[in-house]
Amino acid sequence: MTDAPVDAPARLSAAGRRGRSRRRRRGRWVGLLFVAPAAVLFAIFGVYTVVYGFLLSFARWNGFSPDWTWTGLSNYADLLGANPAVSPVIAKAAGNTLVGMVVLPIVVIVIGLALALLLNSITRLRAVLRTVYFIPFVTTGIAVYYAWRFMYQPDGVVNAVLDALGLHSLAPSDGFLGTTSTALGAVIAVQVWSNVPIAMLLFLTGLQTIPESVVEAAHVDGASGFRTVWSIIVPLLNPVTALVVVIMLRESLQNFQLYLLMTNGGPVNASNTLGLQTYAFAFGRTTDLGYASALGWLLAVAAIVLAVINLRILRSRQ
Amino acid sequence: MTATQLTRTRGRRSARVKTTPAAFAGRLIFRIVVVALLVIYGIISVFPFLVMIGGALKTNQQVLTDPLPFTSPPTFQTIVDTFGALNVPLLLLNSLVIAVGSCILILVVFPLAGYAFAVLDFPLKRILFAIFVGALFVPAVTVLLPIVFLDQTLGLNGSPLAVILPVVNGAAPIAIVLMRSYYASVPEEVHEAAVLDGCSEFGIFWRIYFPLSRSALVTVTILNFVAAWNEYVLPMLTNDDPSRFPLPVGLQSLLSSNVVQWNQVMAAALITVVPIIVLFVVLQRFFINGLQGSVKG
Repeated sequence: MTDAPVDAPARLSAAGRRGRSRRRRRGRWVGLLFVAPAAVLFAIFGVYTVVYGFLLSFARWNGFSPDWTWTGLSNYADLLGANPAVSPVIAKAAGNTLVGMVVLPIVVIVIGLALALLLNSITRLRAVLRTVYFIPFVTTGIAVYYAWRFMYQPDGVVNAVLDALGLHSLAPSDGFLGTTSTALGAVIAVQVWSNVPIAMLLFLTGLQTIPESVVEAAHVDGASGFRTVWSIIVPLLNPVTALVVVIMLRESLQNFQLYLLMTNGGPVNASNTLGLQTYAFAFGRTTDLGYASALGWLLAVAAIVLAVINLRILRSRQ
Repeated sequence: MTATQLTRTRGRRSARVKTTPAAFAGRLIFRIVVVALLVIYGIISVFPFLVMIGGALKTNQQVLTDPLPFTSPPTFQTIVDTFGALNVPLLLLNSLVIAVGSCILILVVFPLAGYAFAVLDFPLKRILFAIFVGALFVPAVTVLLPIVFLDQTLGLNGSPLAVILPVVNGAAPIAIVLMRSYYASVPEEVHEAAVLDGCSEFGIFWRIYFPLSRSALVTVTILNFVAAWNEYVLPMLTNDDPSRFPLPVGLQSLLSSNVVQWNQVMAAALITVVPIIVLFVVLQRFFINGLQGSVKG
């Protein structure tokens, strides 16, 4: 800016005003330009695919013929009970998904919060342990899933450890993933293992925002350590807990790759989930593209409703 | 557990106040229990990786009879055999193309958008932001089928772009939210001062905000590098040329043979995770700061 030298305060305020108004005027279209690359990509790979899948959920199509047969809501009706050939499978998968949606958040919160509290009470090893704890989260994927599969083999590490502890009766002879009663729990355990780190980190962050004086005051008032944690720290961490619940519900509903690579839903649908069933309808042995789309949308609606409810609760508390 | 041990400084201060032998012993036992619990969970965290290393150093015979890691004399033959069974350098290269390609695109596209949502005013801003965040809750599996058809229609099948473009788009919600919350935490005066100095909007972004957001950029990069590196379903569905397979698809092929050689599977799994662990350990300071900053902000 090469304004003539007028007196400094006047020039500053004039320039300030000009700057502000120019920023707004400039921003009106510059902002859109900044967002444009993301928006274009999203229009192609987001909006197009979402609309395509949504439309297909109201049609039947074999994937090859040029035309779709419009069938209205019949895909949804079939999945929700009208077709006796698929509804038992869906019901089983829905039950398993529900188990995950209850177990995963609870166990991850308990372990994550405990680790965060313990980690917050030590100094020396804290940084190293935080890094170590985080490794399962960043490596989550096919390689660690296969390591767990190997560990869950009938003669694998998990059974060997149980044997060594004298708990032979707890070690299934077909391995944890090959036994109907244990397959789901064994896969959820892996899911817990890979999601505890993010909960731990979020709780650790939350703990650092709690003023020390609050904890101190509780101590002065004679509250025990457990009492302080339960009555003061846990309520103060509620927003973090709600966030962890949202992330874990999303994980339970959406992560089908874990189930695909660990058990592929087996044995006999014992560890099938809605996400995996959606994948199976789309790419499995007996495909049904209409069902795949409709089930995908039922999942999406569930995910969005849950997220909205959770955020409502979170907001009403604050 | 007593309240004094809940925070570091409290623990130190109270140590000065009461130093009876009983209290000291109690605190010592408490510390030992805490450290023991933390170390046990540390072992649980890394155990599958120890199993990978242990398995990779065993013969197929040893890995069947003796599942615990590090219980047999190590052999390097398994790793040699794994390089024979899989074209590891090629798989690594294909994985790198997908992971690095999507990270570069993500770092070009989403900081710009995050900056606009945080700092600028423009038409449709709130609606666009709501759409991007809402996309977070559309399950990947819901759009997987249309994406595979779209890749086919666009003639992308077989090319790394068939994986890269959907992965980049899938990264949008988290990347935009992370970048936006970081840029929103920069004082508005920074932007105003730059405007006063006659800097263009892109100049402000590129010269000031982008370099400032190093930890958020690292966080976004690591999250997406890992996601792209581990992506198994998309490359498997959009590609049937083995010379284009990334590591996860190659790894999967080891398991689909009739007799699974678990020692080779573990060696290949190890090859898959080592680059990620190295990347994470090198960058973890920025990564964790970035994640924490985005939660606080």
